[in-house]
Amino acid sequence: MLDTVIQQLLNAAQLGAVYALIALGYTMVYGTIRLINFAHGDIFMLGGYIGFLLVTAVSGMPLVVMMPLAMLLTALVGMLIERVAYRRLRNAQRMSLVITALGVGIFLENLVRLLVGPQARQLPAQLPNGVVELFNGVVVTEDKILIIFISLALMVILWLFVHRTLMGTAMRAVADNKDAVQLMGINLNMVIAVTFAIGSALAAAGGIFFGQAYSIDPYMGIDLGWKAFIAAVIGGIGSIEGAVLGSFLLAGVEVLTVAYLSSNMKNGIAFGLLILLLLLRPNGIMGRPELKKV
Amino acid sequence: MSVAEPKRASLVNFRNVAISALVVTALLQLLGGMGLFNQYYLHILAIIGMNIILVVSLNLVNGYLGEFALGHAGFMAVGAYTAALIAMNLQLPTALRLPLSLAGGVAAAGLIGYLVGLVTFKTVGDYLAITTLGFNMIIVNAIQNIDYLGGPRGLTGIPKGTDLITVAACVVLTYWILRNLVHSGYGRMWLSIRENAIASGLIGVNVNRVKNVAFTVAAAFAGLAGGLWAQYQQFITPRSFDYLKTTEILVMLYLGGMGSLSGSILGVVFYTVTMELLRNVLGMISPQLADLRMLLSPLILVVIMLTRQYGLMGNREWRWLQPKREESPVGTGA
Repeated sequence: MLDTVIQQLLNAAQLGAVYALIALGYTMVYGTIRLINFAHGDIFMLGGYIGFLLVTAVSGMPLVVMMPLAMLLTALVGMLIERVAYRRLRNAQRMSLVITALGVGIFLENLVRLLVGPQARQLPAQLPNGVVELFNGVVVTEDKILIIFISLALMVILWLFVHRTLMGTAMRAVADNKDAVQLMGINLNMVIAVTFAIGSALAAAGGIFFGQAYSIDPYMGIDLGWKAFIAAVIGGIGSIEGAVLGSFLLAGVEVLTVAYLSSNMKNGIAFGLLILLLLLRPNGIMGRPELKKV
Repeated sequence: MSVAEPKRASLVNFRNVAISALVVTALLQLLGGMGLFNQYYLHILAIIGMNIILVVSLNLVNGYLGEFALGHAGFMAVGAYTAALIAMNLQLPTALRLPLSLAGGVAAAGLIGYLVGLVTFKTVGDYLAITTLGFNMIIVNAIQNIDYLGGPRGLTGIPKGTDLITVAACVVLTYWILRNLVHSGYGRMWLSIRENAIASGLIGVNVNRVKNVAFTVAAAFAGLAGGLWAQYQQFITPRSFDYLKTTEILVMLYLGGMGSLSGSILGVVFYTVTMELLRNVLGMISPQLADLRMLLSPLILVVIMLTRQYGLMGNREWRWLQPKREESPVGTGA
């Protein structure tokens, strides 16, 4: 009994870690330019595939080299997308921007599908997968623990970056007031580009972990992206702590649904939770209500 | 100096356009039946017609009301399944089967739309988008879990009820109703909410109620399109009403231009014809190239948004589809 509970909790933590890595990108981009970046789920997918291609191209490339490299490449793609497709529309009506993001997302999905093929693929297992005994008889696999811990470490690094560095301060300032920030001599384009780069890099890490734990396919970004987005909204979009909290909460609910109800009801329950929460707390758990001047 | 001379009414007005559209589709259908007109073109026309109903009705919420709803395919699913069940299970005479099943689909989708609207319009902006998307997912997910509805496999063996003439008649009816609604006194309230919800409330518009009426009407027409679709394809699966279908409707809507009914027609025709042309032209060059369509279609969308961010028509209208100008026009409308 205790064993099952602990296994389920760890499964939830692993899934929640992946959700959180994606949700952080959503929440950061939303914080700076108020865009629901519909292409973000596909950047997560792309990150997984870049990792996959790196491992297949140079066999034996260790994870410590592959992962930072894939994160860097995905960050570049994220910055490129922002530069080419989003920047011109930054001051346009918001829906054009959202539709553009949708278009970019579909483009990425189909591009990967045409280049690599529609079938699901598994990243070669590169994490140690021995078992660790926690206490009398309860065992966990090492890769699960590592995925959870590396993800948490990345989140802590992000938190430190946002709260302890000059660039992070600039990012928070942009989130607060985009116009005033420019008067203070902050390079808005630069800050937004960095936001996209960081968000994409974290999503790539999520994609690689997901490929290690499950498998990757060109359309996984739709489902996972939406889930992560829900997580960000549940936590309060724009808030980093909220995104992490919402991700683990959503993953917990999902794992419990699969374990005790039915795996077919996973999505329905997730969205039901979202709607319920939005009605009770319209700005999410950690979100600040947006003040509007009439 | 012809100042005093009254302007001759143009022959190109809504009534004449609608009648000629119906006559032409009836003729094409007849020619198609005799093998003189390519069935493939008839198929494209029928798809265009059903998409027009979907896009025009979504335009009511996303264009005229100015909200960003993301769940239109969910209501289409409700209409499609209701109509399919009525057509399959009730022993109706053939002449009544289509109208009754469509009416059932419209009513069910409208009802669900009303209930969803009650909840949804407690939120605004991006949260509204997510809530409507959530309902779309919940509807599809619910259908997948109900065995009676065929679960994930869907329903097959729906009797064929829809042909091109039915579609054309429904398109004309939908367009006529929505156009008149938008230009009615009631429709002005939608526009006023779009421009400023708080100010509208202050001058006595019951904002939530008026919003929900628009949402219910839009959902009902999505149900009509769904009912037509079910009895045209003769089989339906929950997957065909998921987020991707909603996205497709949105793309056609924004391509044509928000807050322009004629723009919606243009958007649908442009999108559908471009897709089919790409498929055929690229396929002719080489079968492998046909897959490039999947890349070109989102690219076209992005390029249009970057160059014409208000869509092809913006919020302008084709004058000949507009209602007659009143003596003193109330504002400029959309």
